[in-house]
Amino acid sequence: MKKAITALLFAGGALLLTGLALAFLVAPMAVNQKGVEIFSQKIFYFHVPVSETSLLAFVLGAVFGAMFLVNKNPKYDFLSLAAVEIGFVFGLLVEWTGVIWTRAEWGVWWTWEPRLTSYFILMLMYAGYFVLRSSVNEESAKARFSAVYSIVAAVNAPLTFFAIRLIPSVHPVVFDSSGAHMEASMLAAFLVSMSGMLIFSTALLLLRYQLQTAREELDYLKNEFGG
Amino acid sequence: MPAGRQIAAIIKKDIIAELRTKEMVVSMLLFILLIMVAFRSAFGELGDISDFAGGLLWIAFLFTSLLGLNRSFVHEKDESCLEGLLLSPVDRPNIFFGKMLGNLIFLSAVELVAIPLYIALFNLTIKGSIPLFIAAVLLSNIGICTIGTLLSTISINTKLRDMLLPLIFLPLSSPLLIAAVVTTNKIMNGAAGQAFEPAVGAIKLLLAYDIIFLLLAYALYDFVIGE
Repeated sequence: MKKAITALLFAGGALLLTGLALAFLVAPMAVNQKGVEIFSQKIFYFHVPVSETSLLAFVLGAVFGAMFLVNKNPKYDFLSLAAVEIGFVFGLLVEWTGVIWTRAEWGVWWTWEPRLTSYFILMLMYAGYFVLRSSVNEESAKARFSAVYSIVAAVNAPLTFFAIRLIPSVHPVVFDSSGAHMEASMLAAFLVSMSGMLIFSTALLLLRYQLQTAREELDYLKNEFGG
Repeated sequence: MPAGRQIAAIIKKDIIAELRTKEMVVSMLLFILLIMVAFRSAFGELGDISDFAGGLLWIAFLFTSLLGLNRSFVHEKDESCLEGLLLSPVDRPNIFFGKMLGNLIFLSAVELVAIPLYIALFNLTIKGSIPLFIAAVLLSNIGICTIGTLLSTISINTKLRDMLLPLIFLPLSSPLLIAAVVTTNKIMNGAAGQAFEPAVGAIKLLLAYDIIFLLLAYALYDFVIGE
């Protein structure tokens, strides 16, 4: 397990660096409708993979939560917690890179732009997850409540995104039903970053899971021999 | 006992308890009046608040519903009624529906008094269709009480108790709040044709939210209320 995690960490890290190199050295500058080059678009190769990964992690958190409710195996509770934690940290990165981009592009630190707002609500929702976890002492109740909450929150996320769309948006749309609107080298840089981010977050997930298992084991030994 | 009678028995119990003490409905109503005074102090200088009257209304209702939702389970927990309910031969999802419908009745009763008062105090008119307005309010109430009852059952079993509910309820109800605000604002301002489009989307969202969370609560309540 340890070797696999190290390998994944290195593979993910290498792909992320390659993605960055491709983004800055190979992919052409994006040009807006007036023909002006926009350097700030480079953040797209980091911002989008991070946001997709965080959403995926939240979904994974709910899936593990459901598996816990079915099997009552604490393993799934740890995995669900690990997934939500990773989703949360990546979500903070999304907000952060989003704020940098809004500053560069629109000259303000924050606008109540629909997608930024959706993510903001999403972060508050998952902040509640951690408050909930820390306010339950009994292990089985903690795991049950967190599993239920992770499912409810994951179902709520797309509804939030949809609700915010009721207000018109100025967020750039790159992928739509007709495909990706960019050049091949840009798409390559994006896909390399994306796969790097996925592999890297999988490694983090396993690492976090291992840590939690070790902590449980330590608690058990403490109770057994610590007196 | 058939499910309908089980649910009716729980609702009847809650209504009788409320008629004896009158603490929930009266405190919710007083709270709404106090919020209206706060609105008057905040927006009094504007004179006409009809552009965002629907939004203000939902701020008042959402916070008021928190009072009721907390109260409905604090009683059960403190007097050990919850144990009694769990021991009685009632299916657990029926406990949920009973409590949820009870909350819905109390919230709707408070709104029945509060909405005409709000309209009179701020010199407003509902320019659009009144039946549609009532339907939108009811749909939003169902959503609030569904997610609220589920989450207040969780929060009452934690260390933070009623402190936790706003932290998890408010972000999870945000799609509901947005859709309710869009709908009521459009109806109150008498929007028609193209301008009414967002309200149609919002009503669909309200419906979807209610159905999804009713099903989810039905499936998950067993895990929330205790082993």
